[in-house]
Amino acid sequence: MIRVRLLGEAGIGTQNHQRDMYRPAFERHPGFTVVGDDEEADAVSVALPLPERAAAIEREIRAGRHVLADKPLAATAAECERLATLAEEHNVVVVPAHHQRLGGALRSAKAAIRAGRVGLPWNVQCDFIVAGGDFAGDSGAGGELLNLGLYPIDIVCDLLGLAVTKVRATGGPLGTLQLNTLQLDHEHGVTSTIVVGRVPQVHGIAPAGLLLHRYRVSGSHGVLVIDATRPALEVRTAREATRAWIGPGTVDTLLDVFAAGIRTGRAELGPRDAVRAQRIVEAAQQSINEGRGVQLDAIR
Amino acid sequence: MASDGIGILLVGAGFIADAHSAAVAVTPGARIAGIVDVDPGRAAAFARSQGGIPHASDLAQALAWPDIDAAIVCTPNFTHAEIGAAVAGAGKHLLIEKPLTTTVADARALQAAFAGKGLVLAAAHTHRAYDYGRAVKAAVAGIGEPFLVRLAILGGWIWPDWSAWVADPARSGGHALHNGVHLLDLATWWLDARPVAVSARGHKQTAADLGIYDYLEMVVDYANGATAVCEMSRAHRPGSFNQRELFVAGTGGAVRQDWDGEAAVLYAENGPALVPAAGGNGFALQLRAWLDSIGGAAPLMPVEDAVLAVAMGVAAERSIATGERVTLDEVLA
Repeated sequence: MIRVRLLGEAGIGTQNHQRDMYRPAFERHPGFTVVGDDEEADAVSVALPLPERAAAIEREIRAGRHVLADKPLAATAAECERLATLAEEHNVVVVPAHHQRLGGALRSAKAAIRAGRVGLPWNVQCDFIVAGGDFAGDSGAGGELLNLGLYPIDIVCDLLGLAVTKVRATGGPLGTLQLNTLQLDHEHGVTSTIVVGRVPQVHGIAPAGLLLHRYRVSGSHGVLVIDATRPALEVRTAREATRAWIGPGTVDTLLDVFAAGIRTGRAELGPRDAVRAQRIVEAAQQSINEGRGVQLDAIR
Repeated sequence: MASDGIGILLVGAGFIADAHSAAVAVTPGARIAGIVDVDPGRAAAFARSQGGIPHASDLAQALAWPDIDAAIVCTPNFTHAEIGAAVAGAGKHLLIEKPLTTTVADARALQAAFAGKGLVLAAAHTHRAYDYGRAVKAAVAGIGEPFLVRLAILGGWIWPDWSAWVADPARSGGHALHNGVHLLDLATWWLDARPVAVSARGHKQTAADLGIYDYLEMVVDYANGATAVCEMSRAHRPGSFNQRELFVAGTGGAVRQDWDGEAAVLYAENGPALVPAAGGNGFALQLRAWLDSIGGAAPLMPVEDAVLAVAMGVAAERSIATGERVTLDEVLA
């Protein structure tokens, strides 16, 4: 049993992922036991305010404790890079909570792509659009581009497994809404496009729920269309329309990944993924500010 | 105008002429009064199919026929500027296949030529007249201020071999001008906003040596902060792939139609296929709107919008070539 201590209850805006997501998931996971602040721990779950997060994770790494970190792992790509290097030096597992990539539909899609079922992918289109919830665009911590954008950026990169060489981006806040469009160039001439942001609350979608979360992978020999809001049931009553997720949740699977990483010394999701996603976010912001594309030295 | 309605000269007897003549056949107040095509045999064959209407291979001769009031031009894109100018010179109204022309300068010249003579010029951006185009326009009115359009029209290769004029950018203007203008115009119409820049990318999927990009992605920025992401493809595999998807988000809601939102799905021995729902006749509606605008009604497709569509298409092609965002001010300067 892995002993895990919970550090912090903060996130971007009014989010409290520790209370709402990680604690319940740790408590029901058979591989972890949650311990108090004064007890010995093998691992920590960090959800401290972003300005404090990197320093706290660094302390935990140096103490030899494995880290599950709320996303973003740190406020900047440079900080993420430093933590990744530090984790490698201290031989501890650091898993950033990019849990959306762990949905059942996406895991199967990645396997299908790797198996060549669409041939050679040449384009990916993605929509990651949240309806309602608290607007993080004025949080001063990278806004919705960082808060929401990390997820689909991570997923597209994970699906393709190809380096990003250029980023063009547009869009931004519109009042308390925000939508951004990112055009990524990958190696081998592959392109991807991500539309990400927050639109108003709409009927039938829980506040801060995903109105659209989908991917279309076009390949030389086929097309793979993924609705990442599935597997799910649609439940309609006289009073409401809701969705019921089928199978393990993405946070539960994240803890599986974390536990397996601690057992084996290598997690399938690590701080290098956070570095890659954060560098793309920063390049996108630079592209928006300067109105031009930003070349990158092949981010894998 | 003769008592049996506006006499229309069809210019060009290619496949799209069939769609226009079929629209005329079901539209009161209009009739096909003649056909002209550079290929005399094709003109004669089309004339026979229409019950023996006059035919010719010389445009000036045909425009001089006594009962011609207007023309519908169905010729390749690179001919539009010259043929359009001839129609204006003859004092006839014009409905011309999209794009209006392949350059902004030519588009403006046509706009001025028709305006100067008090003639009606319309470009056949037929998607404005299709059921889905009009339904989205109506629905968008109920979602506050729209600020995102996602529109994808995707399919496999449909053109002929290397001889296809569409695949020659010198003759078609490139895919952004040939098909891309449909989406660029539609998104702009739905958003009712002023486009300011285009960031486009293209792929040559069917063959590396293609002259055009058979897959296009065109991201348009608007003055009010809105964005349109338009995808147009004749590059997808399998070749039977045929999907249209759209999503519009506004300050008060969203409109969405998925790939199967307007069709039944048929599962047959050769795989699944869509069976589109029966609906309206977009070509007939477009024709009716053009005829009504000749009578003084507001146009469905104002000519300034057709000029803007050309400008956006040119910006898209330039953006693909340079790899950078291209402003409409640059293109319209």
